[in-house]
Amino acid sequence: MAQTADKEEVVGYYNSIKEDNPDMSPPLAALKALVRFLESNKMVTISEFNDRLDRCIAALSESESKHSSIHAGCQLFLRFITLTNMQFADFERCRQNMIHRANHWVNKMANARQTIARLAEPFISHGTIVLTHSYSRVVMEAFKEAVSKGKMFKVYVTESQPNKSGYRTAEELKKLGLPVTVILDSAVGYKMEEIALVVVGAEHLVNSGGILNKIGTFNIAMAAKMYNKPFYVMAESLKYLDIFPIEQSDIPAAIKYKIPDYPEDKEGDTEDRHPLIDYTPPKYINRLISDIGVLPPGAIVDEMLSLYH
Amino acid sequence: MPGEVDKTDLYDRMENFMNDLRKDERLGSCEVARRTVDLLRRLISQTKWTSVQDLMDQVWEAGKQLMGADPSESRVGNMVRRVLKIIREEFVSGLREDGGIEADGAEAPLDSLSVDYTQPCPNLKATVIESIGELLQEIDGSAENIAQQALEHIHADETIMTFGGSKTVEAFLKNAGRKRKFHVICTEGDPQFGGQTLAKNLAAADINVTLVPNSHVFAMMARVNKVIIGTHTILAEGGLKAPCGIFNMALAAKEHKVPVFVCASTYKLSPEQFRSEVQEGFQKYVDPNVFYPLEEFAGIEGVEFGNVVYEHIDPEYIHLFIFNTGTNAPSYVYRLVKELYHPDDLDLNV
Repeated sequence: MAQTADKEEVVGYYNSIKEDNPDMSPPLAALKALVRFLESNKMVTISEFNDRLDRCIAALSESESKHSSIHAGCQLFLRFITLTNMQFADFERCRQNMIHRANHWVNKMANARQTIARLAEPFISHGTIVLTHSYSRVVMEAFKEAVSKGKMFKVYVTESQPNKSGYRTAEELKKLGLPVTVILDSAVGYKMEEIALVVVGAEHLVNSGGILNKIGTFNIAMAAKMYNKPFYVMAESLKYLDIFPIEQSDIPAAIKYKIPDYPEDKEGDTEDRHPLIDYTPPKYINRLISDIGVLPPGAIVDEMLSLYH
Repeated sequence: MPGEVDKTDLYDRMENFMNDLRKDERLGSCEVARRTVDLLRRLISQTKWTSVQDLMDQVWEAGKQLMGADPSESRVGNMVRRVLKIIREEFVSGLREDGGIEADGAEAPLDSLSVDYTQPCPNLKATVIESIGELLQEIDGSAENIAQQALEHIHADETIMTFGGSKTVEAFLKNAGRKRKFHVICTEGDPQFGGQTLAKNLAAADINVTLVPNSHVFAMMARVNKVIIGTHTILAEGGLKAPCGIFNMALAAKEHKVPVFVCASTYKLSPEQFRSEVQEGFQKYVDPNVFYPLEEFAGIEGVEFGNVVYEHIDPEYIHLFIFNTGTNAPSYVYRLVKELYHPDDLDLNV
């Protein structure tokens, strides 16, 4: 069947890309797989294009269901490349145009982490004390950038239960030569008075201007607010998700119980399962450092909505 | 070199301007903006260039020199970036007209396909000079444009509190004073005491004025309807770099739930973000002699004198910005920054 063939093809691309670049973020690898699919398949009509790409996106999000960011990223991709003018009579030219845009955009996204690190570096001053939570690639990149500029600072990182990803952060920071201490998740309130700045990554940026991130982020944000400490979020625009949570229970179940490298607890009622992701409302966030600039938390939505509507 | 225009006059002018920046901290903000743009216009009209990139590099170089004269004077940098943006815009629209660039449907934020600035563009000089002329007009008319909005914000029998002697605020209050009766509480704004002059000028324009020292701000705030202030710089996140004393007023206003309005021209809008109190441009100290006559302290040891000029005010203390281009909330400022400056021109300091 053509349908299963498409699915296998795109998932195959994804896996080979991930194999070649194990450090690449899952949504980016998915985008590259989509571009490759677009390049190697001739299509005749727009509805064929829509159908087949939708199928590919579904296949990718299904096979990598742990990474909810894949689905969000692919939707954004579709939205972006189809913004191009479709006035060409023949679809092949349209497709070429879309491939051009897709490549341009994916390359830009591939540099997003470096862009964020460059923008974030001035916010980390020499001799300061920073608190971070869990493990975030983009936050690590920003720390690296600051260290390469000759800055020395102390980092507190939460242990970040239940997968203890904070230890991974601590290990990598030690390699950079930074003094780092792992603290209990419950010690954040105690340590906050010492801390000058909180930086975290995000699993998702949402329409309210808030973020979805590893459980415990919201606690840190509240403590930071109580102490009037700046709370900065670093995240790629690719992480945008078109939902508007009002309260914690609005986080989609497909996202709430999943974090990388941790077995999902499928037992029991939804009520009994423990959330692994929480929602931090925008009023706790001072600045969002993303690849489209350093913005107030609500602003990312303006930017992303201009793509969607 | 044959055909090279003699630029000694330009260099003299730049040197003069830089000297004024270095020594005279009372240079009006409008004048700083105006002189920067004027110098860059002269530079552009006198320079020969091979490509647009070359022109931008030269403007950039000159701009960096001017900015170096006083790093806390963000308005110079703002104007340099505005001029660079004008060059970019005129170049791109020139290319569009010539059909050199394909007009791409949606100008989405992630969609800024890069432009090749090394291409030649024949009629650029004239259009750029013309646009810079428009920018100069905007600068000159900005105080008046702000003042014209006064009646929308000041109503009859209100009590307004203001800080120091901002020319923009003075024009704003006077404009409202033509039609309405209201009361202004001026704070002195020491150590410059600009508030005294403001009080005098307002009284002369037949407006009810009370002059109080800075320390009375909290005590007086209970009877105030709104606070209207000027500022030195507006930062990209919507905060202020403003003369010391304004934060106290903003805090008192917050405690009493009094709205704070900031009158400012867009040339005060800086693409810079607030990072910490010790960042470049915030640490400006001037001669403390103005308020401590040092001879009175002769013989006393172990006392240090300080006179810090600016402090940072977080956007959460501000309700509205009254710009020459319209009225906006602090959360909207990032968007204005985006409109006014090109992202590639932002790290001019580096």
